[in-house]
Amino acid sequence: MNDDIKVAIVGQPNVGKSSIINALSNAKLHVGNFSGVTVEKKEVFLKRDIYDIKMTDLPGIYALNAYTPEEQVAKDFLLNEDYDIVLNVVDANTLSRNLIFTLQLLDMHKKTILVINMVDEIEKKGGFIDKSKIEGLLGIPVILTSAKENRGVEEIISQIIKLHKTPLAKNKIFYNEKIEERIERLAKILRKSPHFKSNDVSRFMAIRLLDRDEDVYKMIHDLPIFIEAHNALEKMYKDLELEFDEESTTDILANERAAISYNLQMETIDMEEEDESLSEKLDNFLIHPILGLPIFLFFMWTLFQLTFVLGNYPMNVIDAIFSETSSFLADFLPKGIFNSVLTEGVLPAVGAIVMFLPNILILFLGLNLLEQTGYMSRASYLMDGFLKRFGLQGKAFVPLVSGFGCTVPAYMAARTLKNPKDRIITMLVLGFMSCGARLPIYVLLVSAFFANHNPGNMLFFIYIGGAFLGLIVAKILRTVLFRGEPEPFVMEMPPYRFPSFKALAMDLWIKTKMFLKKAGTFIAIAAMAIWFLSSYPVNDKMVQNYHTKIEQTTNIGKKQNLENGLKAKLLEDSYLGSVGKFIQPVFAPLGFDWRLSIAVVTGLSAKEVVVSTLGTLYAMSGADETSKGLVSKMRQNVDFKAAVALIIIIMIYSPCLAAMGTFYAEVPQWAWRTFYTIYPNVVAWLLAFGVYKVLALMGY
Amino acid sequence: MKRISDLKIDEEAIVTKIFAKEPVKGRLLSMGIVKGAKVKVIAHTLARQTWDILSNNTKVALRDEEASSIEVKGIYE
Repeated sequence: MNDDIKVAIVGQPNVGKSSIINALSNAKLHVGNFSGVTVEKKEVFLKRDIYDIKMTDLPGIYALNAYTPEEQVAKDFLLNEDYDIVLNVVDANTLSRNLIFTLQLLDMHKKTILVINMVDEIEKKGGFIDKSKIEGLLGIPVILTSAKENRGVEEIISQIIKLHKTPLAKNKIFYNEKIEERIERLAKILRKSPHFKSNDVSRFMAIRLLDRDEDVYKMIHDLPIFIEAHNALEKMYKDLELEFDEESTTDILANERAAISYNLQMETIDMEEEDESLSEKLDNFLIHPILGLPIFLFFMWTLFQLTFVLGNYPMNVIDAIFSETSSFLADFLPKGIFNSVLTEGVLPAVGAIVMFLPNILILFLGLNLLEQTGYMSRASYLMDGFLKRFGLQGKAFVPLVSGFGCTVPAYMAARTLKNPKDRIITMLVLGFMSCGARLPIYVLLVSAFFANHNPGNMLFFIYIGGAFLGLIVAKILRTVLFRGEPEPFVMEMPPYRFPSFKALAMDLWIKTKMFLKKAGTFIAIAAMAIWFLSSYPVNDKMVQNYHTKIEQTTNIGKKQNLENGLKAKLLEDSYLGSVGKFIQPVFAPLGFDWRLSIAVVTGLSAKEVVVSTLGTLYAMSGADETSKGLVSKMRQNVDFKAAVALIIIIMIYSPCLAAMGTFYAEVPQWAWRTFYTIYPNVVAWLLAFGVYKVLALMGY
Repeated sequence: MKRISDLKIDEEAIVTKIFAKEPVKGRLLSMGIVKGAKVKVIAHTLARQTWDILSNNTKVALRDEEASSIEVKGIYE
């Protein structure tokens, strides 16, 4: 019989929780969502002897007074879920601040292990942490770790098993006796209710109530003891606030915990005051009042240049592999429908997508690097004054930049914005940040229509232009829909750290896997559907007519023309052609033919599909056999004005179904959902139309 | 009384009172910015709109509004 141990991993943000999880050996990692919400839930499964250990990694949380929706998820888990052991990870460098939260956790009086991470950084500065002294003072086991040097990580597992076998130790943390007296009195009242029979639970709930925890207050609200507890509580608030001369009992408890933590740190860490850390030296440049912004813009520019220039090499290789395979299979497989579907429909479409994997990976790698090194929060600091002007706040910068990678995680990143108004505005304009999936479309159009310009610069311009447009829309939304100041801005700026290559590689691997899966399933099916819709129905009579004409001609050039004419005619009469013609009037003012119209509409399912649709539609209409590749075919079939209008449409209109689904999941109000579904498309069309007209006037 | 927003870069001070309302106050407390804590201004942006404060080995970015809601006194006062 195996023994299950459930562990909750908790800690403040930036303490290296994930690097500890990555360092655990023989662990199975499962990434999912917390039920009902879209906060990422990481679970680690381990087997040691007869023990099945399940560890749940909770979102980073600064205090039990939850501030952001993510913190609320962590708090709800701690308060309501069933687990055996709390694994509290803290950063040795900021021990006293971290311990404030540890003290809140210890109020629960559950089996707790304190993991002090990044001890190597303290030791490097000549410091020393007295582990057994902390254990004695807190009354819980302590492990010193350095995930980076893989130190102490295995000890975590053996300590979990050891603690699981030993009975719960006595609580050692007590507050000022004036507070303790109130806790005991309140706990006594709570114990009258069957919900809080145990001494530990009633004590914890009493502390939370004195801490003015609204979630716990709601818990007791419908209980028979509520009136008694409420009256006692009101009096305690008043008396304590008077006795301590503080505004609120929350402050009294905060001061208490801060004092205990500070003393704990003083007694247990022996550390020299540093002169000037590397972080500070770096910050002298990176957040310099004048140099900071240009440096930041330079980083962004470099990232986009690398994405395009570096990504180009593997891109050509992948392109070649797919077209070679395609033509090989076309000859090798027996002629027929299967052959056509595979070599004309699926393979070119999937190839057109997989080609862009390198670009997307480089972009994601760059964003991850910014995040992991700690630069991302500097960027928020630098951008706050600027974003504030547009009714956004500095923290909105992180979801906005993630939006350049993929809109789906960006919507989720917006959760760090506490104020619902700030959040909804940020989410409404996130679509203006062109995601990685739109990159292939831009690359195609830029190579086709701006061949004389530096493609990296053009891309940079498209991305920045989209972002700027988004900011203007944010300002409009803020002034029209919401009046009032944006949410306050309080954000930790973690020290700069070397990124963990394992974590980076892991993340890229997951991205690659998901991308290939999407390309292999969803996009392949979409391509197949589009191929079918564009190949049927076939008008046999017309085909017959063309064939007789082709046979009758001896001129090779004329033969060629007739064959191409047949292909084009077949496509025009296909199901897809009919759909395209049906919706074309909407796009006609933008100079789109039915093919571009279809491509735009199919792009709603996934942006990658736009390129594969164009690939299928234009490759089949083959205006000129000598011109190879989609780029030149686009150039022959689409005029410059329409191409620019298409870029604008792609920049602004609704993101893919997955992103829209995420938005719906995050925003419960139907009014916002409806607005979100309609307005970008209207804005996109109007703007594209305007630019089209201006270009026409300029004589393009 | 002096506020954090009155300090110069590299100037140190002791927090005496936090005027910010909840939930900002709670967030400041959990970042270690409590009564009696030593704070040091590391940087501010050109327009003094955003502040970088060091307290207890933690750097915290604040807006002008929050920085002016924290009352401080000189180290030796």
